[in-house]
Amino acid sequence: MTGITRRSFWRIAGLTLATAVAIVGSAAFAEGEKIAVITPYLSQPGTQFYVEAFQARAKELGWEVNIIDTAGDVAAVISRMEDVSAQGVNAIVLNVDPAQVGAGLDAAVAANIPVFGMDAGADPRIKANITSNGYAMAAETSVYVANRIGGAGAVVMFVFDAFPPVQVRGAVADAVFKNHPDITVLDRVTPDVSDGGIADSRAKMEAILAANPEPGSIKAVWAAWDQPALGALQAIEAAGRQGEGIVITGIDANPQARDAIAADGNFEASVAQDFQGIGSTTADTVARVLGGETLKANVIYVPTKLITSSNAKD
Amino acid sequence: MASFLRHYGSLIGMAAIVVFFWIALPDTFMTLRNWLNISQQLSMLIVVAVTMTVVMVMGDFDLSVGAMASLSGVVAAVLFAQGLPVPVALAVALAVGLLGGIANGVLVSLIGILPFVATLATMTMFSGAAFLVSGGKTIFGRDIPQEFADFARSGLPLGTWGGNLVVLPALTLVAAVVTLLVWIVLEHTIYGRRLYAIGGNADAARLAGVKVAQLRLSAFAFTGMGAALAGIMYASRVASANPVQGDGLMLTAIAAVFLGMTATRDGQPNVLATVAGVVTLGVMDNGLTQLQVDSYVRQVLVGAIILLAVSISALGRRAIRLR
Amino acid sequence: MPELRLSGIVKTFGPARALDRAALSLRGGEVHALMGENGAGKSTLIRILAGLESADSGEVTLDGALLRLGSPDLAKTAGFQFLHQENHVVPALSVAENMHLSRPYPQRFGLVHWTKLRTAAVDALGQLGASHIDARSVMGSLGAGDQMLVRIAATLLDDGDAPWAYVMDEPTAALSGAEAERLFKAIAALKATGAAILYVSHRMDEVMRLADRITVLRDGAHVATRDRAATNRDKIIRDMTGRDMTDLFPRHTATSGPPALLVRDLRAGGLGPLSFAVAEGEILGVAGLSGSGREVLLRALIGAVTRAGDLQLRGVPLAANPAGAWAQGLAYVPPERRTEGVMPRRALAETIALPHLARLSRLGFVQRRKTAGLVRRLAQDVRLKASGPDQPIAELSGGNQQKVLFARALAGDPAILLLDEPTRGVDVGAKFDIYTLIRDLAARGTAVIVASSDLPELIGLSDRIAILNAGRISQILPADGLTEAALLTACYQKES
Repeated sequence: MTGITRRSFWRIAGLTLATAVAIVGSAAFAEGEKIAVITPYLSQPGTQFYVEAFQARAKELGWEVNIIDTAGDVAAVISRMEDVSAQGVNAIVLNVDPAQVGAGLDAAVAANIPVFGMDAGADPRIKANITSNGYAMAAETSVYVANRIGGAGAVVMFVFDAFPPVQVRGAVADAVFKNHPDITVLDRVTPDVSDGGIADSRAKMEAILAANPEPGSIKAVWAAWDQPALGALQAIEAAGRQGEGIVITGIDANPQARDAIAADGNFEASVAQDFQGIGSTTADTVARVLGGETLKANVIYVPTKLITSSNAKD
Repeated sequence: MASFLRHYGSLIGMAAIVVFFWIALPDTFMTLRNWLNISQQLSMLIVVAVTMTVVMVMGDFDLSVGAMASLSGVVAAVLFAQGLPVPVALAVALAVGLLGGIANGVLVSLIGILPFVATLATMTMFSGAAFLVSGGKTIFGRDIPQEFADFARSGLPLGTWGGNLVVLPALTLVAAVVTLLVWIVLEHTIYGRRLYAIGGNADAARLAGVKVAQLRLSAFAFTGMGAALAGIMYASRVASANPVQGDGLMLTAIAAVFLGMTATRDGQPNVLATVAGVVTLGVMDNGLTQLQVDSYVRQVLVGAIILLAVSISALGRRAIRLR
Repeated sequence: MPELRLSGIVKTFGPARALDRAALSLRGGEVHALMGENGAGKSTLIRILAGLESADSGEVTLDGALLRLGSPDLAKTAGFQFLHQENHVVPALSVAENMHLSRPYPQRFGLVHWTKLRTAAVDALGQLGASHIDARSVMGSLGAGDQMLVRIAATLLDDGDAPWAYVMDEPTAALSGAEAERLFKAIAALKATGAAILYVSHRMDEVMRLADRITVLRDGAHVATRDRAATNRDKIIRDMTGRDMTDLFPRHTATSGPPALLVRDLRAGGLGPLSFAVAEGEILGVAGLSGSGREVLLRALIGAVTRAGDLQLRGVPLAANPAGAWAQGLAYVPPERRTEGVMPRRALAETIALPHLARLSRLGFVQRRKTAGLVRRLAQDVRLKASGPDQPIAELSGGNQQKVLFARALAGDPAILLLDEPTRGVDVGAKFDIYTLIRDLAARGTAVIVASSDLPELIGLSDRIAILNAGRISQILPADGLTEAALLTACYQKES
């Protein structure tokens, strides 16, 4: 037997040990409260904003924050909740529907660790959920659409019912449009979101445009979030039909949507959630509970803002 | 010494990881409670990886297990929502797994499509079917019967420990039973030995009187059933079902089997080694989370450990060949 | 003419001494055969020449000057070229490209000069007398023999450093008779250019025909180097084995009983229709040129290829698939040991037990002790040299791998034993063991069918020999008193 295995084994073992030591070093036995933030959705823009705002506030409060991203795996959220409960953190902040992580909530309750929702959902085992009012946001944009088209004409909806917070928006818009007898919903599209949603929404919208070539046959596009609205905008511009006055609205007002709205084209409105506000309010709420306060409401809404061309660049 | 390392290097490495966390987390890692947690967290992955081992023993693999787990979960949930009794819904979900597995088997063994291509295609189909069945929605809340959701939280009481009731989680129990079953089948039955022979040399096995086509087909059915069972366990654990929730199981399961293979004497898949691979991955997740290591750093480290184990094993093998 | 000399070469692996003062000399313009039983040290010696292994002690000189070896690059610089049993080719590329794989492609304007690439390849093939190979055809479409010729021809491409010594390790192991003939022609062409050929083979006929000198190794030591004219088969076998072996073949003892296998109107893949019968205790040889159907017949009998016809085993219709045939008492030793016979990385016990698992288990559970007992007994019966039942087959020598397949076929005294090229790539000692096993089995009533391209083997072993020509049996001859020449002539004759 040659020395290859032996030599490389020790070299590799050494490397591993060095890495391990570095990890322990970085785990820095810091002072202050230990807070675990667990989310399957960290790669999404909104989530990043409030996680960053939460971290910024937590730094001021002198906390030690551990951000855990399970990359879309909800069962792993439960697992990590169990892990940090065993570790004994001071509080857990969740960014996932609590109905799906009941076992994790049980573990936290058993370990006497308070759990907070950051745009998550309501559950008796959660001290408070800090979020935007999804009903209100959807009402703002759908009413905006209804008013702009004078309460009459065909509307294309982009929805995503698999994700509860977005499903709520679609339900509200359905109600608003139904309340206008002359508004017809031409199509209720669920785009494929695996590539972010823009590309597939554009493709779907192009098909709808092709099927409805008459100017005025489509009055508006209402999207439950910004990416489909952007896709629809691209489709309309590519088809050369931007002059027909098709009204597009989104929700969330992400930077790309703000640019489009500021350009004064078909994309007219979106609603901005105050992500920073959600993040910092969550941190403040955690601080209040850790300070001994008892909360009355278990949902705390952070105000939202309608974005149009007049304030898109603020 | 070198041969000792080659044979037991991976096992020593796995043990070293455990010891490392034990030292780094003296109070919370090496506790019965934490290990029961880990076992429960890994139960679904164990079921998928262990049944995946059945096809990997033949040198095949199945990319559709994750999508199948998602599909069986939503099938069960949709049937719950229709008001069917829990046992009926579960039986149908398992039957879906069996049929999907048979479909894979037919494509691979009778039609002769490469497993990579065949199961890649069925993966896409199962995933599409999961979206169709569920209408793209997450099924949760009142649609999921309490008894089904409670199953994942129940367990076998083992007694009291330091004043707390210690419970062997039901999901852990299921994973243990599946592991034992597959281990017996692969190691102690004619069926299993013939699968290993196919993996050793399919042509030779056929000429020695092994019904290669039938066995390959049935092995894929096995794996499909395992994936479906894992999907049901997953749905019970999260008390909900959505059309993508099992997808992540596939790559991790394959990684676990490969990791396990580095620990066996002949470098071939083996059920117990697979379980060791799953546990290693799970312990890394658990320990690194407790150490508050950033989750992205954690991913990089887990991948690095897999590469490390496979590299050591490959170097060991090359050293033997050069002899 | 260059001359390479190896003397006093010692090489140990742990406690095992693979080479113990081995010696060899090789001169330009000669074919030098290197012989010895498996384990005699031939492979180790070649690996030292190839630089894959370093000798513990000993001296290597080229034209009197000390030659440094120890890496494949040094071996190449010294002018050695190695052709192993396995072909290393890229099946999807053309012949011409395969020949240029390890050297720069001819170029023009920075692009591949395809015409030049092809003419260079055609020239080199022509020098070997292998012009029948089209340089444009895809490598994978060529037979094993032509692929080997291509690899030899590649060394003749004109780039200034053509090797002077070729080392060929069992080059004909996977070749048909006609392919081997072409190789022999190529060897003669190489020899005429002044190159030396070190020819390692178990095949006595080839060695007696090709070699100018013959060196025999035994237990790692040099036994003798003799001119071919000054030696003969018996002497070589004595040198190799250290004992007299006047007859490689055990005495015929079988007396034929009632018919065991009746074949009527068998057709399968270019074969047939043909009919014959084999009696209990009889050994039927099957001879035939390449393409006569010899390669298909046994595969058809075991049911590995689709077939039609009326086949009866002791009056019962025979299953048309391998699983059914084994269950009825047929046993089969396939011709391609590595690809069709063994599970290389798995324990040898598993290969042996595989067709017999049903008998070795209860309620579907394999009974370990029963299996281990059977394997141990069979390993003894075939005089298998292995460290234990768990040893991976790939670690065994070719002869011992073949013995594993025999052990498997022997388990439970089969009614019919089908042997396809039973001693391909097997050394003399193991050959004798295998012949004895076949004889003993026949004496116990098993009907044996042996298909082989080794004519002395067929004559020595069989009671009768069926001769295949263009898919049909042209005649069935008694083996007693048959000469090789007569048998070969019969193979060339159409049905009369």
